[in-house]
Amino acid sequence: MNTSRDSRLPHVPHVPHAGVEPFVFATAQYESGDWDSAPLVPANVIDSVARYTSLPVRPQGVIVPLASEAAFQYPLLYLTGHLPVRFTTREADILTRYLTRGGMLFVDDHNHDVDGAFHKTVREEIRRVAGPLAPLPNSHELYRCFFRFDDGPPTTSHEMNGWGDNLVHEHLDAVLRDSRISVLYSNKDYSSEWSFHPDNKRFLSIDNTKFGVNLVVYALTR
Amino acid sequence: MSPNASVRDATTAGTDIVDLIAQVDGVRRALIRAQRGRAVLLALGVSLGAGIVGRAVSLALGAAPPPGVLTVVALVVGATTWWWLRPRRSPTRAIAALWIEERLSMPPSFALVTLVEQAGAPDAGREFTPLLQASQQIVRGVRVGDHLRAVRWSAWRGPLAFVVAGIAVLALSKVAGRIVSASVRHAMPGTAGAAADASAPLGAWQVRVTPPAYVGGKVQTSGDVASVTALAGSVVEIVGDGAAPDVLSGRPESAVTVPVIAQVRDGEWSARTVADSAPGTMHVTRGGRNRLLVIEGRADTIPAVTLDAPARDSVFREARGTLALAASARDDIGLTRAAFELLVSSGEGERFTVRTVTIGTVTWPTAARQRQATVRATLDIATLKLVPGDIVHLRAIARDGHPSPTRDLGSSETRVFRIAKPNEYDSVAVEPAPPPEVDKSLLSQRMLLMLTEKLDRQRPRLARADVVRESQKLARDQARLRLAIGDVIFQRLSGESTAEHAHSADDGHDHGIDQQGGKLSMNSASTSGMLEEGNDSPVVAINKPLLEAYNAMWDAGRALEQGDPHGAIPSMRLALEAIERSRAASRVYLRGRPPQVIIDIAKIRLVGKDTGLVTQRSLRSALPRRDIERDTRLVTIAQLLAARGADSEAMTVSRSAARDSLALLRVEALSDAPAFAAALGRVLAALEQGEDLTPPLVDARRTLGNVERAPVGRWSRGLPP
Repeated sequence: MNTSRDSRLPHVPHVPHAGVEPFVFATAQYESGDWDSAPLVPANVIDSVARYTSLPVRPQGVIVPLASEAAFQYPLLYLTGHLPVRFTTREADILTRYLTRGGMLFVDDHNHDVDGAFHKTVREEIRRVAGPLAPLPNSHELYRCFFRFDDGPPTTSHEMNGWGDNLVHEHLDAVLRDSRISVLYSNKDYSSEWSFHPDNKRFLSIDNTKFGVNLVVYALTR
Repeated sequence: MSPNASVRDATTAGTDIVDLIAQVDGVRRALIRAQRGRAVLLALGVSLGAGIVGRAVSLALGAAPPPGVLTVVALVVGATTWWWLRPRRSPTRAIAALWIEERLSMPPSFALVTLVEQAGAPDAGREFTPLLQASQQIVRGVRVGDHLRAVRWSAWRGPLAFVVAGIAVLALSKVAGRIVSASVRHAMPGTAGAAADASAPLGAWQVRVTPPAYVGGKVQTSGDVASVTALAGSVVEIVGDGAAPDVLSGRPESAVTVPVIAQVRDGEWSARTVADSAPGTMHVTRGGRNRLLVIEGRADTIPAVTLDAPARDSVFREARGTLALAASARDDIGLTRAAFELLVSSGEGERFTVRTVTIGTVTWPTAARQRQATVRATLDIATLKLVPGDIVHLRAIARDGHPSPTRDLGSSETRVFRIAKPNEYDSVAVEPAPPPEVDKSLLSQRMLLMLTEKLDRQRPRLARADVVRESQKLARDQARLRLAIGDVIFQRLSGESTAEHAHSADDGHDHGIDQQGGKLSMNSASTSGMLEEGNDSPVVAINKPLLEAYNAMWDAGRALEQGDPHGAIPSMRLALEAIERSRAASRVYLRGRPPQVIIDIAKIRLVGKDTGLVTQRSLRSALPRRDIERDTRLVTIAQLLAARGADSEAMTVSRSAARDSLALLRVEALSDAPAFAAALGRVLAALEQGEDLTPPLVDARRTLGNVERAPVGRWSRGLPP
């Protein structure tokens, strides 16, 4: 896996962002299930965005109820959990409108289990609100819009930790809308991989949250 | 009377009787013909009537079945009618005789009937003369032919009129159809009077939409329309007169088209396509005329379901009681099944088990076309066997008659009720540790098993050498995973992390296990580690399956090493099952409220806390024109000095020219820029002495531009020259 900065990309100079709304990492709160199962992921992704990019970013994430139109304020929504996901009519309606308006939803299976309740139910719900998921090619620009991931989505240490399906998932799934990722679905359990205090990144030889930067950059620039 | 005369008379009488009976038989046959003719005419009339009714019904319904179908139906109806009306009893000879006697103006004497009956009797030797004479008199007195014609006319008149009327109606409808068709053709510009050949301009058409079979709807026929609405899966057929045109099917938003083969039959062409949920088009071209049919495809929507009760989510303190469930469902085509679905989730943290329970199922036959329904059920919560902490997601689901196995269910929104934990308001804050780094290059046992099974399936098609090579690769991966499992076992038992380096039954130290022949076994005599909590401790529960897995992996690895993937699969399955058992026994998870992390963006970006004083940079003023020219000349001199090449003579010339230019420039600067002149002198000196020219040239250029360099301090890391 090559996570070097793509030299072909134009350099974004570090300039003050007066008047520019900072990026806010939003966690989707839904009625069913344990939406808050990875509480440290937002802080970790925010830390990485601040560390590697010059994007204006708000230092703390927000929790957005899916049943609220407040979701429309955020370009990227992060949704995870272990339990079955059943959107209420209101949630499905808001989410459908959110995706139609160009929002991007990142869903991560915290069970990393293709036979699990979260996987089965959330895919049904995604199909209902956005259409069927299809494999996202590992050559997609998501994997090179900031850091380069030549082998596709980075493998997590949780994929083969003896839990879930114990499989290495070779690609992510997505629903594309006008060639842009509308819903990104992962079985790789980034929710476990990234749910640690950002201060502990210094113990890692390779920062495993870099892919989160690509998610944010893709959501903001594509 | 002489005997001869008697014989002659008897012979004459016999001949007369035969003649009489022949006449009676003739009448009888005529009566039968009249009877059967009436039945046939009636059947024909009914058949025509059926054809007329069928045609009228199809026109009224807008459907146009193939002509052969109507003909067959009419013939079947006619045949059935004939079978129903057929003469079941034909007139006998006596009845025919009676019919003749009844044609007389006087009451019948039954002489002819008696003669006919007795003539056919066994004792034919009796005297027939009086009867014969009376009968002859009867026959002579009746104009049989006239009466038979009258009977035939009265029997056939009504049915014949029926048949004629039917034929007339059919003929009129055909003529009317042609007139209408011709009028439509005349109404279409450019097609009037066109001949039915390939060069004739395209005329009017008829569009038939046959809905999918599961819908069970009728065929819809439209006239000369430019667009039709069709349910996805419907067959859309265009029918027109004349030769087959060119037909292309496509999409409104796309230039890609697909040719459609047009069929020609009985002077009519037809082309068909299947509608889907997106708009489609059919381009029809003939004789220089193009026409477009737009097909507005409409998807069969999934059922819409509303959960009416329970109205809100709930928390139950105890897992008992009943819950009334009610839901309403509706569909655009027809519902076939509705039910309540409950997802029961048990567990906590990251360990959950989920089961699905379906209650209150109601089904309807597809033909019922149940578009709307209300479903009710009563849930006895105790039957779910819930425990504190369990969560139930309840929703109503409904399915329509769409036959696709991937068809979505219609579902209502979900209500959630859970069973409260006794201590659910208590919490403990435990900050999770960062995830450990693990060897990501290891393949899981499940993955290894899948790869081995794949190799086993491919084995008949692979060369033996390839099988052995691939199998040995898997064996190496299996060995690595086995060693990793061994590390886990030894870490748990004794805190050591190496599995095989010195662990054996006689290595001199006790790890709670024995190693024999590559396999591990529990040492029941051990008192270290795992036995502290007794045989039922989680440690034992974890490690026994891991030992089994380790040993099964050993067996699997040996089989793979020998190029026998088939023989390795059972052991690999055993290992996988053992690992599953182990992990089911080992999960301990604590999670409390995480700390609120606020990222210090400025700190991360190293921009927020630098309070040191820095030297203000000032903008330098531009050099005067004279100095700019001198700078240009100096740069040119430097380029001459820097020239390199294989031609030494040219290099000598360049350096000589540079020296002359330097001297000239120095002389010019002596009066107005003595510092610059002195710097140029140092360049000349270095040039004469063959020293490195870079420092004096840089110095000369800085002197010309009045650039001052700060002196390098003791603690400075140095500055570029």
